Amino acid sequence: MTAHVPPHHWADALHGRLSHAECAEMEQHAAECTKCARTKVRIQRASDTFTTIRTQTAPDLPWDSVRARVHWSVSTERRAKVTLPSRTNRIGWVAVVAAAAAATIGIVAIDRDAPAPTVAVAPPPAPGSAGSATPARPSALVGLVNRATGDVLLNGLRPAALFTKKLVAGSVLATGDGRVDVQFGDTSAFGLGPHSMLELRTFDASTIELVIEGTVDIEVAPRATNQRFLVIAGDRTIEVRGTQFRVRHDRESTTIACRHGLVAVRDPSGQLEVGAARTLEVKTGSHIKQQRVTTLSADEVTALADATPMTLPIWNLDALVQTSAPLEIATVGRRDIRVDGVELGRAPMSVRVMPGRHTVEAADSAGRFKRAGWIDVAAPTASSKPARLDVPAEAAPTRDITARRRQLKQGIDKARIAACTRQLTKSADLAGAYVQIELSVDARGAVGFLNVIETDLPKDTAECVRRVLADVAFDAGATATWRERIAL
Amino acid sequence: MLQGVKRDSGSVATIGSADEADLIERCRAHERAAHDELYHRFRRQVAGNLYRVLGDRNDLDDLVQEVFVIAFRGLDKFRGDARLSTWLYRICVNVALGRIRTRKRRPAAVGVQDLDSANADPSLTERPETPERSLERRQDQERVYRALDTLAPKKRIVLYLHEIEGLDLKEIAYLVDSNPVTVRTRLFYARREFYAHLAGEPADPGSKDNE
Repeated sequence: MTAHVPPHHWADALHGRLSHAECAEMEQHAAECTKCARTKVRIQRASDTFTTIRTQTAPDLPWDSVRARVHWSVSTERRAKVTLPSRTNRIGWVAVVAAAAAATIGIVAIDRDAPAPTVAVAPPPAPGSAGSATPARPSALVGLVNRATGDVLLNGLRPAALFTKKLVAGSVLATGDGRVDVQFGDTSAFGLGPHSMLELRTFDASTIELVIEGTVDIEVAPRATNQRFLVIAGDRTIEVRGTQFRVRHDRESTTIACRHGLVAVRDPSGQLEVGAARTLEVKTGSHIKQQRVTTLSADEVTALADATPMTLPIWNLDALVQTSAPLEIATVGRRDIRVDGVELGRAPMSVRVMPGRHTVEAADSAGRFKRAGWIDVAAPTASSKPARLDVPAEAAPTRDITARRRQLKQGIDKARIAACTRQLTKSADLAGAYVQIELSVDARGAVGFLNVIETDLPKDTAECVRRVLADVAFDAGATATWRERIAL
Repeated sequence: MLQGVKRDSGSVATIGSADEADLIERCRAHERAAHDELYHRFRRQVAGNLYRVLGDRNDLDDLVQEVFVIAFRGLDKFRGDARLSTWLYRICVNVALGRIRTRKRRPAAVGVQDLDSANADPSLTERPETPERSLERRQDQERVYRALDTLAPKKRIVLYLHEIEGLDLKEIAYLVDSNPVTVRTRLFYARREFYAHLAGEPADPGSKDNE
């Protein structure tokens, strides 16, 4: 062989696609030709790399977020394909419905003594407007997120500042493993459950129309006679006047459970009413008229109560946007959380709070709430980041801590502690000052975590002391987690 | 019938054909739980396929989303003449092809250095993973992907599927929606260009399929 070996021939040879004679001839040439020898090495290395590439696995992605986006894309497209009338038609239809509402209210009236409406942000439509030739458009409503866990998508995107977004008609919310609570009036809110989607199809003072897939818990203040609240679940419509209820809709069935008040459920076959502590399950393909309303068990009623969407005691949209702020509570694993004594469910979560100091408690494995810390939340500004509290990891149960305690006390570098507190001693009496810490030490003597739980020292001094304590060397021995109060 | 073209490295739950048919039927009926199940079963395989074909993780989540959206939209047209995983792989190939074409117009800011060596199956790496070896391997991978980047998109896909994934012409033809003869022709030119580039002597970039 006199000509150089074409590079792809080396690949053929490596894959056994050439005869022995051809391979031998190429090898012989490479022995005399440095260029071909170099090419051979390069192709060989590349070929080795193919195996590595072939066995690469995907990096971890935000799977829940991707899933929610997929679901949002697919279902939004499907809904658009199936039924949606044009926007103009819908507006006209809503006007007709609003006009008809007053006439039909006697039929569907459920709570005749309902107090004045408290849901609408804006004043109700002008009297008689429904019957006029050019009806005044009802004031638009706005929703605000109060609590969120896991991935939440708004209109297919994961917004950076979910708590500042205003939810208006046309907004679509989707959840991953978590849940999101949205308030839209005084004591009116909905909570979208895991793996669910909700579209605010109509969201104004006269009509609220929610299209759902999945689970939604709704608490709605009593509606005025000219106001409607509808939940569309597949081909079923659920109408309420003032109640707390849950709708779960999937391919198999639609279930409506009412905690208090009264819910009217309609489909083409007719209407059925679901009262307090009652439930109705309608299988796909069957009609409401064929179903019976059954009673909820005490546990089921409790579960409904637990799922009550979070509402803030005041509902003033502008004031809330300007003054309230999200508080992020981060936990290792999922833990039940209380903020200022109010149980809020499982963290990690973000929750809307008013500015000020908030105490956070986290439940341990036995369900006992223990103080996790406090945090000062400031009023939001354009550039401010959400306040965040990291709940210390739950201490693992431990037994033999005597030896570890002794090692801690013997190992503290007193000179460094004195250096930490030197500035303080010049201006104040340190008598009675203390640091209470929680720490874990593994069998090798390595410190797993060390948190300052409580102290009366300034933050910087406490951090300095913590660093000194973290440098204590432990011997190999028993695994231990304990709390220690160290007087200074 | 094409049976399971892609052999992903253990991340895909095994799924029998009866299960698969049932899952597809439920997905066609727009059952939310079935969509979730399909997504959970195949998400890593889909992400892995895209990751390997493209050699970077830029916008990988968007591409995974695109694959599943196309799959859920197109399930009604899925005739069952291949395994579901193969059909999904076919979608991955098409999505990757689109991505490569876009990227050719707008080069990616970050390249193959994204490939995480820690993701490789340790049982298949022969030498112990010293830092030098790790660097060497990463450089080799970069070289391979750089050479792939020089190819026209269609040639690149065909070459990747044949040389790296080890698929035969018939399997590749199904995945790229072409016929084996066309695939063979593309492969012929692609191999010459690819290995010439690896050897450091760029060849005449062939006469066909240059896009």
